[in-house]
Formats: sequence, C-alpha cells, structure tokens
Amino acid sequence: MTPASRAAGAATRRRRLGSVGWHLAAVALLAVILYPVVWVVSASFKPSGSIVGSLELFPQDPTLGNYQRAAEGMAGISVLRFFWNSAVLAVLAVVGTVASSALAGYAFARLRFRGRTVLFVLMISTLLLPFHVLIVPQYAVFQKLGLVDTYVPLLAGKFLAAEAFFVFLMVQFMRGIPHELDESARIDGAGPWGIFWHVVLPLSRPAMVTTAIFTFIWTWNDFLAPLIYLSTPDKYPLPLALQLYIDQTTLSDYGALMAMSMLALLPVIGFFLFFQRLLVDGVATSGLKG
Amino acid sequence: MAILKRFTRSLAIAAALSLVATGTVACGDDTESGEVALRYSWWGNADRADLMQQAIDLFEEQNPGITVTPSFQEYEAYWQKLTTETAGGNMPDVLQMDFSYLREYADRGVLGGLDEHVGTDLVLDDLLAGFDGAGAVDGTLYAVPVGGNTWSMFYNPALFEQAGVPAPAIGWTWEDYHTAMATIKAETGTYGGGNYTGVIYNLEAQLRQEGGALFTEDGRLGFSKERLARFWQQGMDLIEQDVVLPVETAVQIKPASLWVDDLAASDLSWDNFLTRYAGETDTEIRLGPVPSNNPGQLGQYLKPAMLLSTSAGTEHPEAAARLISFMINDPEVGRIFGGNRGLPATNAQRDAAELDGPLAAVAAYEETIADQLTQAPPAPPRGAGSIEAAFIRISEELHYGRIGVAEAVDQLFAEAEEILEP
Amino acid sequence: MTSSTVDSARPAAADRRRPARPPSGRRNGDPVAGYLFLSPWIVGMLLLTVGPMAASLYLSFTDYNLFTTPGWVGLDNYRRLFDDDRWLQSVRVTAGYVLLAVPLKLAAALAVAMLLNQRRRGQGFYRAAFYGPSLIGASVSVAIVWKALFSDDAVVDRLLSSVGLDSGGWVGNPDFSLLMLVLLAAWQFGAPMVIFLAGLKQVPAELYEAAEVDGAGRARRFWSVTLPMISPVLFFNLLLETINSFQIFTSAYVIGGRNGSPAGSTLFYTVYLYDRGFTDFRMGYASAMAWMLLLGVGLVTAMLFRTARGWVHYSGDDR
Repeated sequence: MTPASRAAGAATRRRRLGSVGWHLAAVALLAVILYPVVWVVSASFKPSGSIVGSLELFPQDPTLGNYQRAAEGMAGISVLRFFWNSAVLAVLAVVGTVASSALAGYAFARLRFRGRTVLFVLMISTLLLPFHVLIVPQYAVFQKLGLVDTYVPLLAGKFLAAEAFFVFLMVQFMRGIPHELDESARIDGAGPWGIFWHVVLPLSRPAMVTTAIFTFIWTWNDFLAPLIYLSTPDKYPLPLALQLYIDQTTLSDYGALMAMSMLALLPVIGFFLFFQRLLVDGVATSGLKG
Repeated sequence: MAILKRFTRSLAIAAALSLVATGTVACGDDTESGEVALRYSWWGNADRADLMQQAIDLFEEQNPGITVTPSFQEYEAYWQKLTTETAGGNMPDVLQMDFSYLREYADRGVLGGLDEHVGTDLVLDDLLAGFDGAGAVDGTLYAVPVGGNTWSMFYNPALFEQAGVPAPAIGWTWEDYHTAMATIKAETGTYGGGNYTGVIYNLEAQLRQEGGALFTEDGRLGFSKERLARFWQQGMDLIEQDVVLPVETAVQIKPASLWVDDLAASDLSWDNFLTRYAGETDTEIRLGPVPSNNPGQLGQYLKPAMLLSTSAGTEHPEAAARLISFMINDPEVGRIFGGNRGLPATNAQRDAAELDGPLAAVAAYEETIADQLTQAPPAPPRGAGSIEAAFIRISEELHYGRIGVAEAVDQLFAEAEEILEP
Repeated sequence: MTSSTVDSARPAAADRRRPARPPSGRRNGDPVAGYLFLSPWIVGMLLLTVGPMAASLYLSFTDYNLFTTPGWVGLDNYRRLFDDDRWLQSVRVTAGYVLLAVPLKLAAALAVAMLLNQRRRGQGFYRAAFYGPSLIGASVSVAIVWKALFSDDAVVDRLLSSVGLDSGGWVGNPDFSLLMLVLLAAWQFGAPMVIFLAGLKQVPAELYEAAEVDGAGRARRFWSVTLPMISPVLFFNLLLETINSFQIFTSAYVIGGRNGSPAGSTLFYTVYLYDRGFTDFRMGYASAMAWMLLLGVGLVTAMLFRTARGWVHYSGDDR
C-alpha cells in the first residue's frame, strides 16, 4: 500500500466514524423530540378512558377500537369525505398562495414604484391584528355576498395574496437573488414579466416549495375559518370533524380523537416528504454560477 | 422546473373551475314554492349527530315539504360559530340554546318569540311540571326545554362503607358532609371530596336552602359579601384540614373529572354527568341528595339543561315551531335518543326512552326527590356565564393561596358589578 | 459568456419573451408593472382586509355586543384597559412568553437546520422526522398529550427528579405552567427550521470553499459566511416568530382554558381577548384590545426593521 492510499484509507475511516457519530447524535436528539409524537401514536391505541391521566407510554391493553370508530365517520358521512374535503381545500390553497404570493413578492422585492414602501408597511401590518376581531366583519362581507357555506371564503384570501407571511417570505428570498442576472436578462430584451418568469421565479424555488409545504399543512389543520363559514356537515374538512370527539357536555372520545389525528397526519406527511425533496441543493447553487 | 410549471398550470385551471363549481353548489335557502328548508344547529358529539340524523329523517317523513339541514359542532365551537353567524345576520332557523346564555340572546332580540305558536304548532302540555315556565324571559317564551338535570351529590359507596360513614340521605347537613369527608380521608387515605366551594352552583344550593337565590329579580347578585366570605372560608378550612382534593391536582386532571383514578370519594355536580363519570372509572358511583341545613328544603330544582329556540329572523316560524315540538314530544324521538340529551323533558319521551345504566340511575334518583324539586329560577341575567367563570377563577386563586378570602370576595363583587352593568 | 438566464436551453421560453424594451429608467421606476403584479394583492386587501380592519377599529370605540347596533363610547374601552387587572396580567404573561419562546425556538431551528444541511444519507428522512412535531401542529391532541407529559409523576417530572431537580409540578404550578407552554412552542421549531434550510441551501458553495482556502475554521465560516448570507431568512424568522408568538391561542386555550389556569398564569392576550369578545359579548372592548396589541407588536416590528439595517445583508439589493 502506498502512503497516499494509506492516508486516503485513514481519511475514509475518519469520515465514516464522523458519519456514525453524526447519525447517533441525530437519532438521540430525535428520540427526545419525537417522544410526544410517539405518545400520541400510542395513545391512539389506548382505550379512550385511560388516555387523560395515564402515565405510562405504552398501552396496558392496546386496542384497535379507536381506529374503528374513527374510520366509521359520523352522522352518515364517511371519513373519506372529510379527507377529500381537506384535500381539495389544501391543494387549491397551495396553488393560489404560491401563485399570488410570488407575484406580490416580486412586486415588493424587485419593482420600483410610487407607494411601494407604504403598501409594504400595510402588508406587514395585516399580520399584527389578531384574527378573532376580524372574523365578524369578514363574515359579514361574505354573508352579504351570499357566499357562506361555500369554500369561497376559505380560498379567496389564498388566491389574493392575503397571507402576508408568504408574501414576505417571497420578498426575503427574492431580495437574495443577485441583480446581475436581472441585468443580463434585461440586456437580452426581457421586461419585468420576463425577468420574473425566467430569472427570479426559477431561483425562488426553495421559497415556493416552502410556501407550498406550509400552506398545505396550515390549510389542512385550519379549524377556525371552516368552523365559521361551513354549516353543512358533508363539507366539513378534517379538523371540524375532529373536534366532535371532544365535546365536553357528552362523552369525550379521546381515543378516537388520537386515532383520527393520526390518520389525518398521513397525507400531510406524504405531502411533506414529496415536496421537501425539491428543497435539495443543486438548482440554487448552479443558477448563481457564471 | 418544467414539470413543476406544467403541473402548476394544469392545477391552476382545475382550481379556477372547482372554485366556480363550489361557489355555485351551495345555493341559499328554499326557492321552489311550497318547499320549506330549515337550518337546524346543535352541539354534541358524533354519537348525537347520528341520532339526530335519524330524528330528522323521521320528521321529514312526517312533514313532506319541509327539509331540515343539520349543522353541528362541539359545545365550545358551537357558541363561537353561533355568535358569529348571529352577528353576521345568518342565524339558523332552529338552534339549541343553553340556560345561561338564554337571556343574552333573548334580550338582544335575536330569538323568535314562541308564544303565538303554543297550542298550534308547538305543543307544551306534556312538559314535566318542574319545567313550567322554563324558557321564558320577562314573560315571553323564547326557548323550550329538551332535557333537564338537577344538582346532586355523587359518591363512591365502597369508600363510604369502608370508612364507616352512612351514605348520603335526605336530612344530612353540610356539617355531616364535612365530617364524612374528614372521616373518609382519615380512614381510607382518599380525599373525601372535591373542593365544592369552587363552584357557584353549590353557593346557589345553599342560598336556595336558606330561601334566597343566586340572582335577584332585577339581575343583581342575590347574596352579600359576608355570605360569600363565609362560603369561601369554609373551603379554606377544608383545605387546611386536607380533606379535599388539592387545587394543583384538580387543575392537572382537567378536562377529566376527579373520578379518574378514583381521586376522591364524592363530588357535587349535575346529575346527568353520571354518564361521563361512569365512563371515566370502573368503580361504582351513586347519586345522593345535596346536603342541606334546612330540613325539608333541598334547594334543588329541575334545570333545563338544553333548550330549543328559533331565530327572530327565520322565514318559517311555524315550521320551526313544529320541528321543536316534534323534537320534544314525539315518543319515537325519545326512543331514538334515549338518554343522549339528558333526561327528556316530556313525559311521553321519558316513558319511551329506554334508559339503561347510568341514566336509569339518574332517572330513579330524580324520581326519589321529585317532590322536593322546587320551581326553577328565572333565566339568569346577562353575564351569568361570565360570573360563573369569574367565580371558578377567583376561587382557584384563593385555593392556591395567592389571595385571601376578603380580597377574593372584593374581586368577585367588583367583577360582577362590572359584568352585570346594563 | 453564454446567456446567464437559467433556462436558456429551452427554446419555448424564448417565444414568450416580450418584444425588446428599452431598460426602464431606474429613477422613475415602473408603476405599471408594479401595480399589475400587485393587483391580486390589492384586490385581496380591499375586499378582505382593509374593510374588516377599519371596521374593527371603529368597533373599538363602541360598546358593540355582537348583536345590537354599536353605540359610540369614544376612548372608554381603551381607558378601562389600563384599570383591568386581567388585561395587565395577560400582557405580562404574553410578553414573558415571547421573550422566552422566540429565542429558544429560533436557536433550536437554526441548530438543527445546520445539522441537516450536510450531505448525509437519509437526509430526507431526518428532515421529515425533525419536522414531525410541526406537522402534527398546535392541535388539540398535542396539547392534551403535552399536558399529560408534564403532569405530576409523569415523564418530565420523573426525569427531573432523577437528576435531583424538583419544579413542584408543571401543569398545576402557576410558577412553571408558562415554561411548559414555552417548551411546547420551542418543540415546534420545524417551521423556522425548514425556512433556515431553504436559506442555507441558497448560500453558494464557492463562498465556503473560498473561506476554507483562506484558512477559516468552522466557527469563523459560520460567523463570516453563513450568518450574513442567511440574515434575510433569519430576520424573517425572527420577525414572524415574534409576531406569531404574541398571538398564541390554541395550545394556550386547550391547556389553560378561558381563565388561564392555573391562577391566571396562562392567560394569554388572545385568550383573554376571545373570552371578552365572544364569551362575554364585549366585542367593542375586545376590538380595543386587538388594536392595543397591534400598536404594541407594531412598535416591536418597527424596532426590528430598524435594527435590521445594521445586520441584514441582501446579496441582491439595489438599495
């Protein structure tokens, strides 16, 4: 063996040890962090009465009853219907939010026009007011338009960049894209739309993916807006159905609540796993070369 | 990136289409001649939703031309939605109502007056005697009781026996109760009960036993500072003797009750909660009368636990009244629900409901004290719910030792004065 | 040098390019383009936000009880706030929570994001796993479980006792109940973590290589390359986590209820606001509370924006 290959061998061994160490540390950290999640999972297999007040992690007498009850749906509405409603809302919300936030973000980040700062401040200020005081006036607007008990009030804001969180996210990412690329595109004859479509948007992929992921999850878990606007039970998304398990005036079914929460988690995990792959490096760095 | 673009584009087209579609699917109310559409909202859990659907189907069968669209949430969410809908001018036609909120809604004119329907679409003859006049506010009928309950003592007979303490029976006083709790704690090591001075209904029970009431006719507090101080001091004494469940434990086990893990031997609560409690523990729990220092005066009454109202703005007041009448009178509905809505408010439904297990015990219990149940108080004044919450909160701080009794009393009176302001 | 537009390899794109335009003067700006791009946002603002915001401001000067016509009371609501012990309590509780939860959450998020930013096997799995708590969200089931975990003689209690620490209880202890909620917030560091990750991905590898060639060690690389390059997303996370923390509701409501049990120690601002507005039917008063919150958080936001000029570095800015 040459000295070079011996050194290379040693380096590989060091790297592998470092790798093992890293994995060990990560798993240990995960164990602590995921403990409560494991608890929720295990609670979904515990009989309903023994969940609140129980101290042990694993169920004494595990049961599938919670899942059976959760799968039954309620009031004659199949649980699949709730999943479908949630899916429709979430997917539409993602499309609307990504599109409209990108447009608005580009305007704030790249374009110069009179009143930009004022409007930007206005946008940020929409984050500052607690939603509970906006509910009633907003409801009144949709009531006058005859749009209650539809999905329109739930989705209108998404398509109109009403989520300042994502507009601001886009702004921050877009401001990190070097202007040289814009200049080159402009020299090649591109106008604002061209720069947007060919330069800024492709490089904002991490921001768009992040927006998509968050929008999906938050819409999936959104409880308040569907509660206020939807009356017909077969339009209910999952969170509305879920809360029926914890009615305090009758018998609360914590077991079914946990089981249903678990089931509701699966599409979210799927969506996340699929989209977070797009966060992989490669595009971002290559685009900034040359 | 190209895939993403194509994907996004086709999604966007689909999105636009479905947005239009969903928007047009939900048409408003009825429009065809003769067809009446009622919106009916209630609170409850999944079980109740199933039972309601059966009742609604039955109603629609018997009333062709009327369609009922249900809407339901759990209790807390229900009120949030109802308040928003009402504020936005979109109240359901028929809605479930709670006794403590009745005046809030009635006084503000959002509930429909039901007097004109009594005898025609709305049949009230079969209501239990104890519900006479329940649901009326200042002389106008705004709500009809669906089910009732009454305040009572829950106790663990095994522990009582083990400690050699006689079971609760009519004639036992509050001192008897305190002694019982102390004995149980000494003999068995389990707490004798929950700290009952944290709940306003126990104060109400004591006041009624003395011939008073929680609120006066004109909506003020019906007790003096000194009376409240005496009540709360009793609670502090009990804490000092360490015979009642400590407040730290009580806070932790919420939303469960102290029956989980058999933490205490007794507690005072609404009798129809037995279903809930029985589900939280395997030990047998029995119902007994509330202690009273005034023999012959239990101070208990039949409280409308659940009521039905119509909205003032409903387009179909007669149909709405008919739905309400159906829900409280029809024996088949009584059979469908059994004890799910508590104990039914009409004789027909009580007979039809095949009560079993805990609810049969509740019915039997109410039977035994039936002659002792007195007239229900009028609908509590506006803000009663907030005063109830303030009472719980202030007594919690008191039990934690953060404030003294005098300060607690002052706080409650200050808040009550502010809340009850017209 | 070849054209530097990223997808110049796709001929179809060229067809969609607008006809050559003279470069717009930087000084004049381009209001047409600006407002055109902003048009969905403007429509949304007018329809959904500005109106309701103005309405809530108006209502804060009335005695609106949700059902009857509001009557003007001027500054009465605002004046009463400062006499309201519970309001002051809610301000204290919320401020304390924000000061503890935000730094903790951001530190955890950045640390884990950096951990995950290396090319390791199973990256996707780890990313999803660390994001798990945020996936499950601030839901009722989590709040119930969290409460169970911090109860007497449960996991946390036992762990602490085994190292000799005794908090005297968490859920039932007014001195520690807030800390429990801080930990719940910090536990859900997944969202800022993902954003940090996206930001870290945008840092060009050449910068790290260049620094390494110059002899910079790990720590130096972090301070001189990483932090400045991710300062935009750091600012974003800081700002938004702060704003969101002021408005915490669901977990607080599930764990502490409308009273902020135990003994008002978990009486958060929005919980008290909700209690007053919806359960007490004092919507006018609640609206005043909301606008006070807006003022307070607005001040904090403005301060953050101000300091941002000092440390946030946008690599693409033409300011």
